[in-house]
Amino acid sequence: MLIFATSDKGGTGRSVTSSNILYRSALQGSDVCYLDFDFGSPTSGAIFNIPTTLHGTTQGGLHSYLHGMVADPQRLEIWQESDRSSLRSRPPGAGRLVLLPGDSGGGEFPITKENTERCARLFLHLEEEFDLCLVDLSAGRSYATEMVLAATANEALRNIRTRWLVFHRWTRQHVLAASGLVYGERGILHTGENHGHDREELANSLRFVRTAVVNPDSPELEGLRPAQIAWLRDVDRDLSELASSRKVGRTLLLGSIPLDPVLQWREQLISDNDVWSRRIANRETLEQFDSLAKKIVDDAAWETL
Amino acid sequence: MLTFGEVHTGLLQNSTSLPWDATAEVLNLLVGEQVRRSERPMAYAVSPNLLTSVDCRLPAASGKVIRGVGTVVSRASITGGHVAQGSGHAVVVKSTANRRLSWSHYLTRPGTIEAIGKAVGGDIARGFAGASQPMGTLDLGAISGRTLDAVQRSTRLDRHPPFRTQRTHMRWVVTPTDEPGVEATGTFRVATPTLRVLELVVPREHVGAIVDLCEDLALHDWLLTTLLALMESSLTGPGTRAQRIARLRPAIDTLLHLWMPAARVDEAVQPVWQSLERRPGFTRQWEASVSRIRDQMTLGTLALLESATA
Repeated sequence: MLIFATSDKGGTGRSVTSSNILYRSALQGSDVCYLDFDFGSPTSGAIFNIPTTLHGTTQGGLHSYLHGMVADPQRLEIWQESDRSSLRSRPPGAGRLVLLPGDSGGGEFPITKENTERCARLFLHLEEEFDLCLVDLSAGRSYATEMVLAATANEALRNIRTRWLVFHRWTRQHVLAASGLVYGERGILHTGENHGHDREELANSLRFVRTAVVNPDSPELEGLRPAQIAWLRDVDRDLSELASSRKVGRTLLLGSIPLDPVLQWREQLISDNDVWSRRIANRETLEQFDSLAKKIVDDAAWETL
Repeated sequence: MLTFGEVHTGLLQNSTSLPWDATAEVLNLLVGEQVRRSERPMAYAVSPNLLTSVDCRLPAASGKVIRGVGTVVSRASITGGHVAQGSGHAVVVKSTANRRLSWSHYLTRPGTIEAIGKAVGGDIARGFAGASQPMGTLDLGAISGRTLDAVQRSTRLDRHPPFRTQRTHMRWVVTPTDEPGVEATGTFRVATPTLRVLELVVPREHVGAIVDLCEDLALHDWLLTTLLALMESSLTGPGTRAQRIARLRPAIDTLLHLWMPAARVDEAVQPVWQSLERRPGFTRQWEASVSRIRDQMTLGTLALLESATA
């Protein structure tokens, strides 16, 4: 299965959230891989703690592959290459966790017939090996998004299950931007249709994930004044109304990631150890990641409404 | 001077064993050419030969710049309706000229690469058999991989394979020998989890039979690698014995009946298979694995019987 992760704007926590979801999925026993298609700023090496690839690779990454410079893009086995101790060894029962990094110093590039073809070939090849391939796209409308839409419209990829996750923060501007990214002019559905996708089918394979969400009922907000809590509730209700009027509402919501200090201050994978022994990350965050990892492959969560 | 090649082997992306008519269509990679097939002892079909023109550096262990011009032959095959292979190879010979000739010259010698300049067979052989090849040198793996891709992307496949697994790559180099009475011999090593290197010395007159042998070896090495990987993830994973055995089902359904070493290999190069059976001993490890699976199933059945009578 191919999962495309995109977001309305930068800084939504798309990369860190999708990395965490993929990590939980590997722990649950699936063979998974992460493709860094954020060509402008390849940062996945930093999230997975790969010391040689903090800002992309120099060993023939995805740029070099899509430009036809190398026959196969570099692959990093996280359980062997990461320098973080909790990622260093494969836990019993866990699946493979592989990173395909972007090249350092790369940038966005316009799509051509050749690089779209290489992209389709890569997806087909990875689909042979992995239960789940997560493609982390750049924020907003980008060439990367257009390329994968063109590649997945290829007849050979027709039988591969494909899903889209749109990450956005829970604010007025982000809700509007997320709606625009999906439904707007030159948005995902529009671009997809131009490349030969069925609009309805594409819309049905797309769900939203809210990030850095402040829950007004959370016990952590006990320190706030009653007026502040009341205001938060009002804003939350207004946002919910706005979201549903813009088709970003509950019916298409796959999950909400609560605001977590660990994710705010350092993009990293949250391990069980961070929650249970070091107690620096919140249990709810981990539970959301776990639940999302299950939901992305659970057909019931993707039934047409 | 030498012959080298690379074979990529993977699981055909189809839920069931691919029927003959679909196989013929999938392997029909060249218009106007026939797909060849045989039924005994196992269903096997092979595409027509494809040619890829190359003009690039050849790998050399010494790092010397050796230019090679010519063509690489590649072909795809499907065995037992389940296993797909892409295989590319070329013979390297010394060029008589000191420059590139017109393409018609090379096209009359399909599958031959002419090395321009000072080239030593052993140097190229070691360079090719090395674990990593410098960028910009001939990448036979890319040609084999693409041939396999051409099969796997066919729209005749339903793309719901019984399990997911890695491709394996078998890189092979043959040095011909003119010594009389020498039997074909080979050494095999596992270079990385997916790359295997086979170095062979074969009497000159039998070099032609080597491609079939290497494809057969690659097939069996993939079967063994895949079975071991499936067993590891099934038997060490969580769950009851019944659940673990259930996870082995795809292996039983698709792999166990495909083991048939040297079934289509020329008698003259059989000694290579026999020496590899002694060491590392493919069949020995395969049989041990198969009996382990059967033992697990027997234990599972016993447990079921006990719970039924209790």
